[in-house]
Amino acid sequence: MSIALYRTASLPRPLIFGGAILAASLLLAIFPSVFAPYDPNAFDYAALLQGPSTAHLMGTDNFGRDVLSRVIHAYTIDMQIAVFATVFPFLIGTVIGALVGYVGGISETIFGRIVDAVITFPFLVLVIAIVSILGPGLLNMYIAVGVVGWVFYARIIAAEVKVQKRLDYADAGRAMGYTHMRIIFRHLLPNAITPAVVYWMTDMALAILLGSSLGYLGLGAQPPAAEWGVQIADGKNFMATAWWISVFPGLAIVLTGLGFSLTGDGLAEVLRTKK
Amino acid sequence: MPLASFILRRLLQLIPTLIFILIVVFVLVRLLPGDPTSAILGDRALDADVERINRELGLDRSLLVQFGVFVESVFTGDLGRSISLKVPVTELIAQRLPITMLLTAMAALIALVMAVPLAFWAALQRGRAADAVIRGAFQIGLSMPVFYIGLILLTVFGAKLGWFPVGGYGDGFIEHVHHLFLPALTLAFSLSAIIMRNLRSAIIGVVDAEYVQFARAKGISSRLILLRHVLRNALISTVALFGLSIGTLLGGAVITETVFAVPGAGRLMVDSIYGRDYPVVQGLTIALAVLVSVTFLLTDLFQAWLDPRVAR
Amino acid sequence: MRAVLDVRNLTTRFSTPTGALVAVNDVSFSLREREILGLVGESGSGKSVTLRSLIRLLPSIASQSGEVIWQGHDILKMSPKEVRAVRGGQISMIFQEPTTALNPVLPIGLQIDENLRAHTTLSHRERLNRARELMDLVGIPEAARRLAEYPHQFSGGMKQRAMIAIALASNPRLLLADEPTTALDVTIQDQILKLILDLRDELAMSVIFVTHDLGVVAATCDRMAVMYAGRIVETGTIADVFARPMHAYTRGLLGSVPRVGTERSPLMSIEGTPPGLSSIPRGCAFHPRCDFATNVCRVSQPVTETVEPEHDVACHNSLAVLEAGSPVQ
Repeated sequence: MSIALYRTASLPRPLIFGGAILAASLLLAIFPSVFAPYDPNAFDYAALLQGPSTAHLMGTDNFGRDVLSRVIHAYTIDMQIAVFATVFPFLIGTVIGALVGYVGGISETIFGRIVDAVITFPFLVLVIAIVSILGPGLLNMYIAVGVVGWVFYARIIAAEVKVQKRLDYADAGRAMGYTHMRIIFRHLLPNAITPAVVYWMTDMALAILLGSSLGYLGLGAQPPAAEWGVQIADGKNFMATAWWISVFPGLAIVLTGLGFSLTGDGLAEVLRTKK
Repeated sequence: MPLASFILRRLLQLIPTLIFILIVVFVLVRLLPGDPTSAILGDRALDADVERINRELGLDRSLLVQFGVFVESVFTGDLGRSISLKVPVTELIAQRLPITMLLTAMAALIALVMAVPLAFWAALQRGRAADAVIRGAFQIGLSMPVFYIGLILLTVFGAKLGWFPVGGYGDGFIEHVHHLFLPALTLAFSLSAIIMRNLRSAIIGVVDAEYVQFARAKGISSRLILLRHVLRNALISTVALFGLSIGTLLGGAVITETVFAVPGAGRLMVDSIYGRDYPVVQGLTIALAVLVSVTFLLTDLFQAWLDPRVAR
Repeated sequence: MRAVLDVRNLTTRFSTPTGALVAVNDVSFSLREREILGLVGESGSGKSVTLRSLIRLLPSIASQSGEVIWQGHDILKMSPKEVRAVRGGQISMIFQEPTTALNPVLPIGLQIDENLRAHTTLSHRERLNRARELMDLVGIPEAARRLAEYPHQFSGGMKQRAMIAIALASNPRLLLADEPTTALDVTIQDQILKLILDLRDELAMSVIFVTHDLGVVAATCDRMAVMYAGRIVETGTIADVFARPMHAYTRGLLGSVPRVGTERSPLMSIEGTPPGLSSIPRGCAFHPRCDFATNVCRVSQPVTETVEPEHDVACHNSLAVLEAGSPVQ
């Protein structure tokens, strides 16, 4: 017990706060029905556009749906977006970045051009364009983000692997007769991956922003699904009279984004001092 | 004249970038599912019509030829005609893009006005309450989606207080600025957060530098020390970041223009995507990418002016 | 000759999260016109902080007490504006690392001009002429062209010359030199030292020269002050201190200088390391490393006494040290 307390105390504060927010978010995402007081999609024509009250803590929308229940159920979709929109770019980018950083030469030149091109296109515009061609929906959004997103991870990993490659232990690995793949993935990568992991946290926050933006534009999660961006879009015409429909889902976005950013900052701090 | 040769070198680098942009746009539009012919004709088209449209759009020829034709027409200023609006795409871009440019320029200006003084204050108050409050506020700003900020500003300052119009663009420059102020403020939030964060740590890194101490030892005023010695050096990395953020800013403009019903390029983009007006999507994507490249160039030049070591 | 600078009981503290650190402790010395005073000690002995304390060039966590009397006025009591007039105008400073002390993004000409604008009423044209003159004075060829150049276009030695030109711009009466040759190649070091000596004669200034290099002190200074753990432990003329050191630490320092020409006597070196600011021993701070230490050294801080004319020391056993003789003969 005392050991556990001591270790908690030595963690950076952003990591504790961020981690707590994320843990709570995950809990809500996995067991929304346990926490939501109502069915998120149940219409209640007797309680349309009601302000926050003890019966409906965050009020009801124009169909009489309980806003709190919808915000809670939206955790399932939005946390899923945070993970799925980033994990594939992370994996693909890590592999490609490690190869590019290790091989260098012409692959590095080509990769440099690709990076130049990708940062030249406004990311959101590109994603919107791809989603529009593939058709709206979450799966197509993951594909669109994946097409572009891996580049950022690959760039970080490539730079890091390039540094690690020059260190002695990589030479030692070669001298031992290990295969290139073994050197890259067993020896270089574990040492090179920390900045990418830190970026991953920031990227999950960005993914939630992107996912809700697409939801707002009607290109992401489709109504009547409970998703924060969709909810905000649902309430936008009632902002002047029933602000709660849009404002509470927005706060959920801010809080979750904050959770990821703080975790990222805290993680960066821990990993930096560990080095 | 290292600066002149640097500018020339940078201009030459623009050429491969532009070619790359064209390749990416071409490939994206051609290779992804959802072809333009069926977008024009709908699902139940006659084969003869499909063939005719294919021929009209040049889709019956080989990809390489198509690309050649595409590059040629782009360089002669022909980006095709809008399918739904029946006007040349270049004309549409010339109408709508300046609005988006004014919007992003205003947003960038507002972001700088918010971020620079606060970054200074936070850096000089490092570790104290003011620093924590400023950083916390900007962290929250960074976590807010653009459309959410827009919706709240629109409701409070547009609909409730009536200080600003709730949409549109108005006539004349003053009206334009008045109409675009809330959208620009909306866009400025996340950019100012990014700049604030970067500039704050850059200032902290510079403020104790030996050359700042040496400048103090000369007995010059604190104002000169802060502006000429601290800010100028701290800005170098921030300017690079600012350039890189322009793409994000333009992406945000797509959403802001939708929220505020601003008839700019971003709004046109969304409308064209909904309407599957692919010549417009293609033309706008190229125009935006060129705009970003030119901004990169300008920020690079500004950086070279700030830091003579860059031009070498 | 009369004193231009009189430092009395100067103390500089840094307040840190873990408590106050005393970097400069009750330091007193005076400096005469045209005199070069060497401030000597190991790194961390407080010599650089002492130098910066004279013109209050300290971070905001520092607090100072004592007196720094400059031409009849106490610098520590001046308003910020008055201090700025002294800094760079009457008292100039050159730093150890020209590479980091010159602003990398401003042309050398502008960095000289800043000083002239702050302290003179010269017109634009006159300032430009003065800048060229200064470049000539410190031996930078092609002055007109090089004024427009940036620090990264200068070699290390040329950068140090440029820094001296900046410092001398407004004809200071006192030059504070913080290890100005440490970062340079040996041959360049000699050139810069010679330049400073020449300039002292030409411009009739006084110089305080901070260094850990006793060879440099012997070659350039008139008097020297030895610092240990934030205090001055011995002051005197170069000849006196080198011939008859009276503080065990001074004697140890002299013994650790490798000499050419003489047969190398077994190199004396001082055992142990200087204490950190947060763990200065009580009594005489040097006692844990001192061969002459007696019981009194462990409990009481020795006071500074004038043992010979112009030769002050703060050591309980100065006579024993004196009797042991100088390691340099």
